[in-house]
Amino acid sequence: MSSAEITSELSESHAIPRQWIVTAGRIALAVALLAAWEWGARAFGPLFFAPPLATAQRIVEMAGNGKLLTDTIATLRVSVLGFVIGCACGVSLPFLLRLSPRAAEAIEPFIMASMGIPKYALTPWLILWFGIGDAPKAIVVTLFVFYIVFITVFAGVRGVDQRLINMARIVGASERTIARKVIWISLLPFFFTGLKVALPRAVSAAIVGEFLVAVEGIGFSIERARQLSDTTGVFAGIVVAVTLVLIINAVVNALERRAMRWRPTDRDMQI
Amino acid sequence: MAGTPMLEIKNLGKRFPARAGREPPPWIIQDMSFEVAAGELLTIVGPSGAGKSTLLNIIAQIETASAGEIVFDGEHIASPEQKALHPGLNRRIGYVTQDDNLLPWRTTIDNVLFPLEVQGTLDDAARARAQELIGAVGLAGFERYYPHELSGGMRKRAALIRTLVYDPPMILMDEPFAAVDAQTRTQLQEDLLRLWSLKRKTIIFVTHDITEAIALGDRALVLTQRPARIAAEHPIPIPRPRQVKDIFTMPGFAAIYAGIRADVQ
Ligand SMILES: Nc1ncnc2c1ncn2[C@@H]1O[C@H](COP(=O)(O)OP(=O)(O)OP(=O)(O)O)[C@@H](O)[C@H]1O
Ligand SMILES: [Mg+2]
Repeated sequence: MSSAEITSELSESHAIPRQWIVTAGRIALAVALLAAWEWGARAFGPLFFAPPLATAQRIVEMAGNGKLLTDTIATLRVSVLGFVIGCACGVSLPFLLRLSPRAAEAIEPFIMASMGIPKYALTPWLILWFGIGDAPKAIVVTLFVFYIVFITVFAGVRGVDQRLINMARIVGASERTIARKVIWISLLPFFFTGLKVALPRAVSAAIVGEFLVAVEGIGFSIERARQLSDTTGVFAGIVVAVTLVLIINAVVNALERRAMRWRPTDRDMQI
Repeated sequence: MAGTPMLEIKNLGKRFPARAGREPPPWIIQDMSFEVAAGELLTIVGPSGAGKSTLLNIIAQIETASAGEIVFDGEHIASPEQKALHPGLNRRIGYVTQDDNLLPWRTTIDNVLFPLEVQGTLDDAARARAQELIGAVGLAGFERYYPHELSGGMRKRAALIRTLVYDPPMILMDEPFAAVDAQTRTQLQEDLLRLWSLKRKTIIFVTHDITEAIALGDRALVLTQRPARIAAEHPIPIPRPRQVKDIFTMPGFAAIYAGIRADVQ
């Protein structure tokens, strides 16, 4: 009836074969990867390359005896804790710095310099301070996430269209309202870009942290398998970690699509 | 127009800050003085790049003055010594900017309701008023469209009613009808005149279009090009209510038009 319905029908009929092609491409790539993996296992032997089937069996086994769940929960606990704190700081600092451009300028080189600190190298020192619990790992994760989110959100805050801010001021919006209803929403694309880079980093930082100090977790299991020369165990751990990252990424993509519903459809560029 | 001036511009001057590698900045506005009476509809005509938008930005308090001062409703609101800007002066000065400045993530209706939302005055009566305005400018049916789904002229109309909806006593308008077709423009001009005769707002209306300046204004100011000064002031004694579509048949129109035409370089 209305023009809106006609348009949505058009894009729908267009979307189905397109989605289908993408899915087919993904399956083909996955098969090629598995084939290469299998070939590697045969060429170099199971010590250097665990065969895919053995890796899959190991994961099923881990799922059966509950290890998969406890490892995943342990790693997620550290990643999520560090992620939430890093995100909160990474988002709020640019908003605070906005209040004083001079403070922002003064502080920027310090933040950039501190970014050069090798974060994993801090772990032994952090263990000294905080013991061998979740804290040192969570701090390392926090640092990774903080810098990525800070830099993207900072760029976003700087890039906000000043004319929109002026408009909001003229119609009587308070600075707080402007931060919430104009600036924050303008920088969401930057924020989500930051999230997509930071989330896999958060998980891998947690895992590397677990190499160094842990009693459970995906990283702990990988490290122990390595010590036992159990290549299949190492591969199984890596597959679990990758799967975890993929799941988290899918959740972020869904959130982003929801937040960006208003945008002209540029699905072609969806990562 | 009788009455105390609502707005006084006294010897206003403006130059933008210098930038490295360019000559010292020129005066965009220099020694400009005029008054706007309460309830007056003043039109300003001037060539492109003259400084019309800059003038409105200074009155709206999103840009500083470099010389002179501005008095609004008896209150000094702008001078080179001023410490802080007060955009919109506590919602008393509305501004329909040259760019629509709609929030791209809000639909038409949510953009129109934005001022009420941030002012905390959003209720059912306000919603009904917004809906009525949307109908009046021909945007009915497009309430749930995002700005990028509207035409340029529709976006301007949405921006116009976003200011009307919260009813500021003074409104600055920067070529609000430049991007719409002739029929719609006539319609919008008549709507504006009807609204103005009901509410008696003080309006400064910037335009390129001499006919528009005559059809709407009590008085038209002509600006010079760079630096902007008042080249001439033309009273427009055409009686109201006016019929915008046959304004050029009114006695006196031709003479006023020729006068303004001669002053616009
Ligand atoms: N932020 C700025 N920095 C430096 N110069 C500026 C700035 N804004 C405007 N100008 C200069 O001021 C002059 C007047 O600009 P303005 O936008 O006020 O013109 P205008 O009369 O509104 O023109 P138009 O009719 O094309 O909209 C221009 O020469 C422009 O280069
Ligand atoms: Mg302009």
